[in-house]
Amino acid sequence: MKATLEVINRMQEEGHIGKYAIGGAVGATFYLEPSATLDIDIFVSLNNPQGSSLLTLMPIYDYLTSRGYKTEKKYLVIEGWPVQFLPPGDALEEEALQQAVETEVEGVRTWVITAEHLVAMALKTARAKDFARILQFVEAGVLDADKLDSILKRHGLLEKWEQFGVKFLLGPDPSGRGIP
Amino acid sequence: MSDWMRKVLESKRATRQRLQALSFSEKLKLLEKLRDRSLMIAQSPVRRRQHPKG
Repeated sequence: MKATLEVINRMQEEGHIGKYAIGGAVGATFYLEPSATLDIDIFVSLNNPQGSSLLTLMPIYDYLTSRGYKTEKKYLVIEGWPVQFLPPGDALEEEALQQAVETEVEGVRTWVITAEHLVAMALKTARAKDFARILQFVEAGVLDADKLDSILKRHGLLEKWEQFGVKFLLGPDPSGRGIP
Repeated sequence: MSDWMRKVLESKRATRQRLQALSFSEKLKLLEKLRDRSLMIAQSPVRRRQHPKG
């Protein structure tokens, strides 16, 4: 992982990418106990080619493949780790990237998405594994409730959060109706 | 809940807290081991026999 991050940092230093932050299961591992994953999600702001308004991952692919790194489906395999580069797809992901926290992995500087943004993003994606991860965050007691609340409000996720709470945090609905 | 089950749950909770408290670097080393193990299990001929294609 250290070697993978060193390659990504070099890309950043050389101006091929802008700010980046680790998300997904690896990002969650910063706050929680490690859970098995086979890949790394890297949220990344892209530097447009001069004169182009089109955002494309091609400069990243070109940079890495020209240095011998292979592609594997949607991933680029960097020093043994399949990496998925994800440009922010909405305002929530853009904010998550901008507010990512700086840390170190074996002396290598890197950035991780905040716990509250990871929860909001998981809530938005809403797969079973996302709900499981949110529960892990809640049980671990690592969330800043005020910060999470303001993120959920800002990005229109409060209703989803309430539904999640009723379904997963408050136990079964005594009326038996559940959330539609 | 039986005493035995209570002990299992307490032990599980304590292990999770211990792992959570590790540094990011230490956690990522564990994550690499977990990944290697997952890949090894996925490539095992026993597992492939249990999940035939088609």
